[in-house]
Amino acid sequence: MLELKNVDAGYDFLQILWGVSLHVGQGEFVALIGPNGAGKTTTLRTIAGLLTPKSGEILFNGQPIGGKPAYAISRMGISYVSESLNLFTNMSVRENLLLGAYAVNDAQKEQESLEFVYGLFPRLKEREKQLAGTMSGGERKMLAIARGLMSNPQLLLVDEPSLGLAPHLTHAVFQALLELRDRGVTILLVEQNVNTTLEITDRAYILEHGRIVMEGPSREMKANEHVRNAYLGI
Amino acid sequence: MDTRKTLWGRITEGLNRLGFSPLGLLLIAILFVLPLIPPFNQEHILRWLIMGAFLAAQSVAFDFTGGYINVVNFGFAAILGLGAYTAAILSNTSPVLAVQPGLSPWLTIWIGALASGLVGLGLGMLTLRLRGIFAAVMAWFVGIALMGIVRNWTAVTRGPLGMHPTTLLETTSNRPYFYIILIMMLVVYIVLKQIVRSHYGLAFRAIGQNFDAARASGINPTYYRVFNFTLSAFFAGWLGGFYAFYFGALTPQTLMHTSKTVEVLAIAYIGGRGSLWGGIAIAFPFVFFIEFLRSNFTDLPGLHLIIYGVLMIVVMIYYPAGFVGLYEWAKAKLIGIFAKG
Amino acid sequence: MTQSSFLNSVLIILRTKLPAVIVLGFTLLLAVAIGVETGPAQLINSIVSGGILALLAVGLALVFGVMNIPHFAHGESFMVGAYVGYFTFTPLNNYLKENPNQLLSAVAPILAVVAAAVAGAVMGAVIERLIFAPLRHRTRVGWVMNTFLLTVGLAYILINGTTLLLGPNFRGIPRYYSVPPIEILNIRIAADRIFAFVIAIITIVAMTFFMQKTRTGRAIRAVAQDEIGAELVGINLDFIHTLTFSLATAMAAMAGAALLYMFQAYPTVGLKPLYLSWYVVMLVGLGNVYGAIVGGFIVALLQTATQQFIGIAWEDVVPTIVMILVLLIVPSGIFGSEVKGIQEQ
Repeated sequence: MLELKNVDAGYDFLQILWGVSLHVGQGEFVALIGPNGAGKTTTLRTIAGLLTPKSGEILFNGQPIGGKPAYAISRMGISYVSESLNLFTNMSVRENLLLGAYAVNDAQKEQESLEFVYGLFPRLKEREKQLAGTMSGGERKMLAIARGLMSNPQLLLVDEPSLGLAPHLTHAVFQALLELRDRGVTILLVEQNVNTTLEITDRAYILEHGRIVMEGPSREMKANEHVRNAYLGI
Repeated sequence: MDTRKTLWGRITEGLNRLGFSPLGLLLIAILFVLPLIPPFNQEHILRWLIMGAFLAAQSVAFDFTGGYINVVNFGFAAILGLGAYTAAILSNTSPVLAVQPGLSPWLTIWIGALASGLVGLGLGMLTLRLRGIFAAVMAWFVGIALMGIVRNWTAVTRGPLGMHPTTLLETTSNRPYFYIILIMMLVVYIVLKQIVRSHYGLAFRAIGQNFDAARASGINPTYYRVFNFTLSAFFAGWLGGFYAFYFGALTPQTLMHTSKTVEVLAIAYIGGRGSLWGGIAIAFPFVFFIEFLRSNFTDLPGLHLIIYGVLMIVVMIYYPAGFVGLYEWAKAKLIGIFAKG
Repeated sequence: MTQSSFLNSVLIILRTKLPAVIVLGFTLLLAVAIGVETGPAQLINSIVSGGILALLAVGLALVFGVMNIPHFAHGESFMVGAYVGYFTFTPLNNYLKENPNQLLSAVAPILAVVAAAVAGAVMGAVIERLIFAPLRHRTRVGWVMNTFLLTVGLAYILINGTTLLLGPNFRGIPRYYSVPPIEILNIRIAADRIFAFVIAIITIVAMTFFMQKTRTGRAIRAVAQDEIGAELVGINLDFIHTLTFSLATAMAAMAGAALLYMFQAYPTVGLKPLYLSWYVVMLVGLGNVYGAIVGGFIVALLQTATQQFIGIAWEDVVPTIVMILVLLIVPSGIFGSEVKGIQEQ
């Protein structure tokens, strides 16, 4: 579904990604892990269209999307749940969610999506009228994920959802992601919490200094020496 | 070739310390000589030269604030006007106004400058906690208030009817006035250039980039910012004094109006922000162009302002470095060509 | 709600919104003073002006909030509206002199305002595409200051272009509606004033409805809060920017046309509306659209009070003093500013 071929990307003066190649198949739950500053967020931002790759190709369902504006990529079916969430803090939960379905423009589908995410995150329904900015960290993460789901995306990019969350909330978030995977949503997950990530995902890539240094089924990665030393503290 | 040892190198270095390049000095020398050469010795052309120098001097004082501490002093014209009016009123001998202090214009120019400097001080303090746009708007409102005060205090200023101060010199010729304003322009430039080259300039730039970071690195932003405003305003008032005693007619709406600030702003920006000299290079050709248009196309009022506006927009979007940027680029290119050859 | 929790809420409001409460209270006092001293006529005038000023200020607040642009050419939108209103109404009026027609007489002023709105919308869209969009795609560094200066340049082009093309003469109409003043609650109000006020109120209400209840309106609010978030949910930023600027310009143009009976059309007619709408926006807080609505009325009343009690000469000085106080004590405005990124240099 998603394929990156030899992508170089970065900011004006600083190149972050060097020849990154990865792919995510339909229905897969893939992880992108690595140390801080490796370029994981840059990868997601490039896929989402917030950055333009300097070279290389990004294909989504066979279509090249590198260089397209972010809103166009969103409308093609890729939802990016960013690290900073980018919530509309002065709007209610409900309005945030409705905006998630902005591109859908179909009242019925919008309603269905709303019911779907409320089913997934009942807390959000409780706080429907609350301003997004006044919610707790965990709730805001859920809202961000829920908003990303409102457009019924084919591919969900999630950036460090567990960051700053208490363990039980992290668990809830990962539960939700698993449920999504079971419903057929393809997910590319960037995470620092390597342990749990390797538990729940199918495959994983390791990104170090802007380069993919390892890839493979998550189970195998968990057993790998380097991974255990560097990331699992074993 | 060790440039420091050659005569040329030493001359260049000395000039550099003053803030001039050899080319700059040459152009200034030409300006000094110009009034002796036809057609530049004609009175109306001399007037254009005076206007050019006046505008150039203003843009230097304006750029000192706008290009360094990054605050657009939108009340600049009003502050200049305040200096003009102060100087004019204090030298007034005519019973048309309520007061006739009758002081010498040569003295009152300085008092006007001081008055403006004080306003600059106040404005600097007032806008301390305000960033970028807020400070500019505050300056704008203060400028409007100043204009309003001048317009309404008719006993002392004759309001919109205007004042006619005595002229500085007895002569009706423009030539001595040109030399006066030329020297004033050079004084403003040299003084401000020296300050900007010192650690003051570094402090200004630091404050302009990031006020809080500057404070964190040990600079006292209050002092530098207020200093900058005060000095810029002081020179504005000083120039205002010249205006009063040369042009001989002051009205609040023409002298102190926001549009006058915009003219100076346009010159300073098109010339190149943070350069001080960019405005000087631009002002003379601009004034000549505008006056030429005006004398040949009398039925096209305000055309010069449209051109200013368009140029300003084009420069801001496509070439923010302004004329100075163009010059640097051309210089680098030329040096490149000569180096290869 | 129990006694104590009501009191609690009041105390919380007082504490957090103290400046707003003070200003509102003061304004109400002024309104009463004006009404008592000079009779209701002045008060009505202030309310009408307030409505129009609110219309102007809302546009300015929108441009601030959504696009982060300190719009210095907003008065020129008013000016264009005045001219379009004049050039629409005058031929109709002349025709009506020969061929009186009740329906057309009633509708002509409305046509003038609508024409102004359309002209404003088009002008706004063109300006945004030609001037702001290219800069936005180029770089966002120093955006706030750069766009401010761009609008300054724009204002001068517009003012002087108009002088060049149409001359500096004042173009006015004696009145929109040739009917005697209408009596409401024992007060005689000119029909034109009611017209202007109604236009302002309808537009503001429509605008509020649009922003709160429609998908596009919500998208505009989203862009004002988080541009990246808006992009990520599929909102086309270019479109929203153009739409916002177009709407703001259209509203200002409508104000210009609606006030034609009072202000006339001439190149610099926009300078006072510019200054006053900035006054409102800085008072209530940059980007605060709903605050701008209330602020319009506050400033209109302040202006009238200044004229009445201090003297018309100090009309420019008092706002400056008020502004100085506001910027020193509550720089983010009495209702709070909601603009992203305007805190940096």
